[in-house]
Amino acid sequence: MTPKEKEKLVKTIWKVITYVVLITFALVYLMPFIRSLVASFMTWAQASHYPPQWIPHPFTLENYEKLFRLELFPRWIRNTALYAGLIIAGNIVFSSMAGYAFARLEFPGRDAIFSAMLSLLMIPMFVTLVPNYIIIYKLGLIDNIFGLALLGLVNVSSIFLMKQYFVSLSDEIFEAARLDGCGPIKAFFYIALPLAKPALGAVAVYQFLGSWNAFIGPLIFLRSPENFTLPVGLSFAFQRSMWTEYTPIIAGSLVASAPTIILFLVLNKYLIRGIVITGGKG
Amino acid sequence: MARILLKNVTKKFGEVTAVKNLNLEIKDGEFMVLLGPSGCGKSTTLRMIAGLETPTEGEIWIGDSIVNDVDPTKRNVAMVFQSYALYPHMTVFGNIEFPLKMSGVPKEERAKKVKEVAEFLGIDALLNRKPSELSGGQQQRVALARALVREPQVFLLDEPLSNLDAKIRTQMRFELKKLLSYELGITTVYVTHDQVEAMTMADRIAVMNKGILQQVGTPDEIFYRPKNTFVATFVGSPPMNLIEGEIIDKDGKTVFETEHFSMELPKDVPHGNVILGFRPQHVQISPQPAEGFIKGELLGVEKLGVENFGHVGYGNTEIVIRLPEDIKTTRGEIYWRPEENRIYLFDPNTRETVYG
Repeated sequence: MTPKEKEKLVKTIWKVITYVVLITFALVYLMPFIRSLVASFMTWAQASHYPPQWIPHPFTLENYEKLFRLELFPRWIRNTALYAGLIIAGNIVFSSMAGYAFARLEFPGRDAIFSAMLSLLMIPMFVTLVPNYIIIYKLGLIDNIFGLALLGLVNVSSIFLMKQYFVSLSDEIFEAARLDGCGPIKAFFYIALPLAKPALGAVAVYQFLGSWNAFIGPLIFLRSPENFTLPVGLSFAFQRSMWTEYTPIIAGSLVASAPTIILFLVLNKYLIRGIVITGGKG
Repeated sequence: MARILLKNVTKKFGEVTAVKNLNLEIKDGEFMVLLGPSGCGKSTTLRMIAGLETPTEGEIWIGDSIVNDVDPTKRNVAMVFQSYALYPHMTVFGNIEFPLKMSGVPKEERAKKVKEVAEFLGIDALLNRKPSELSGGQQQRVALARALVREPQVFLLDEPLSNLDAKIRTQMRFELKKLLSYELGITTVYVTHDQVEAMTMADRIAVMNKGILQQVGTPDEIFYRPKNTFVATFVGSPPMNLIEGEIIDKDGKTVFETEHFSMELPKDVPHGNVILGFRPQHVQISPQPAEGFIKGELLGVEKLGVENFGHVGYGNTEIVIRLPEDIKTTRGEIYWRPEENRIYLFDPNTRETVYG
């Protein structure tokens, strides 16, 4: 075998190994989804059978029928959409302003405040859950979508992403704007914000995913069924006193995940950009 | 219309002194070029005039007022950046209109002014395009238009030609000079590290090195009367030859002696240890041994078309001399001598010019 052929062989072997590893991981990640998809067409008896079965028999649409028979189902979708909308709007407004301030303005203690804020990322949400509950309770906003949304209007990771993006823009553009007569506020509206569309897109997508799938927050802060969001509503609707009907929940989760999957297909370049921004510089 | 005056200006970034005790006056309507290698403080000086940096010490005057504490938004200075810094999300029209919009000029007047300046610079056909759709030369013009449209008192340019390719650079060089000096007569400060740009465009050049102003003068003064070895070698291409040696009297003649050769100099030169300088262009060449000519070993020839430069080696030092256009040899012996009235002598300690 000539060295060239040998090199080629080694390359091919590496390629095969790479693909095998990647496909294995992809299957591991996909498995729960495939399982859900299959189980949503099974009866509960078959879905809970051990060893697991993969072909629905009998094939049934009963789970989906149960789901759409739920009176509150449309309402939950509306609530979830409202919640996600508020969260996205809040994050876009506040994180762009905060990110701009941290990236482009000079004020005493800027870096210290930023570091302090970043350290919040290390605090698990359960630590702040009770204090947050008390605050929202005192405001009289328990069992209210707006009260729940209030807690998520600002998010450290959104601010971080926006700050990194504004830092990555060229200094000269902002200096040119300054010489053209732009103070910091005008520069924010005329220069920074229009240029930040990709980063704002990334923030919006992340926040949508987070809020659409949120479970713990809505579970704790919402009480009446008509105020529930989809994830909480589904688990509420099919939880019996002694057991839980999992197959309709699975069907419901699939329906609920449809928007996120569509969103991902349409906007995945923003998601990737978001990762690139935060990972790239600084 | 305004003159600019820098009085004892110093700028420190932490421990580093970028500009040290700079005194410079730029007259009304003058085209001043700040020339120096990178890191010499020329850009910092420009940015202090613009207001993007605040001097640590000293005063900056524009017109009749001190502007140290005036925000750049209110200085009425315009600047063209090396990267042009066009707003990528706006059209060419939007870019040029922007400074007018920020100063609250009514819409119709803005449109009129933008059209005027665009026509003046020959970019009126591009007004609806985005900067990313323009060539480097066109972007440059848009940046100029944006700076010119508000009729600034002072015009600042930071290496505006260095991102262009060589051909357009030469063309823009003359166009810029024509526009700013001859047609508009705006007070202009132009930063560059390119001595050709400096020589061709400037009314006066300020040469800087390591934050210190070395010399201010017309291009001729800078070229023919350099104040020290830095200016002498920085301006001119190839750089001036510098040879250390001693001047002594020998057999009634004044002779410059080095380890490798000696040459006769005029009687009025200062004696002692000196650095002798002469430009590669200011030498006479002889292919055969001749009276007063110095023998040298030609190491190689750089052919640049009209001009040929030979490298001549003496131990560890190499000097560069211009050879006749029709020279045939590229190696071997050659005889040369500097033109007597074109030599410079520098003090080896202070490196200041003592003769020439």
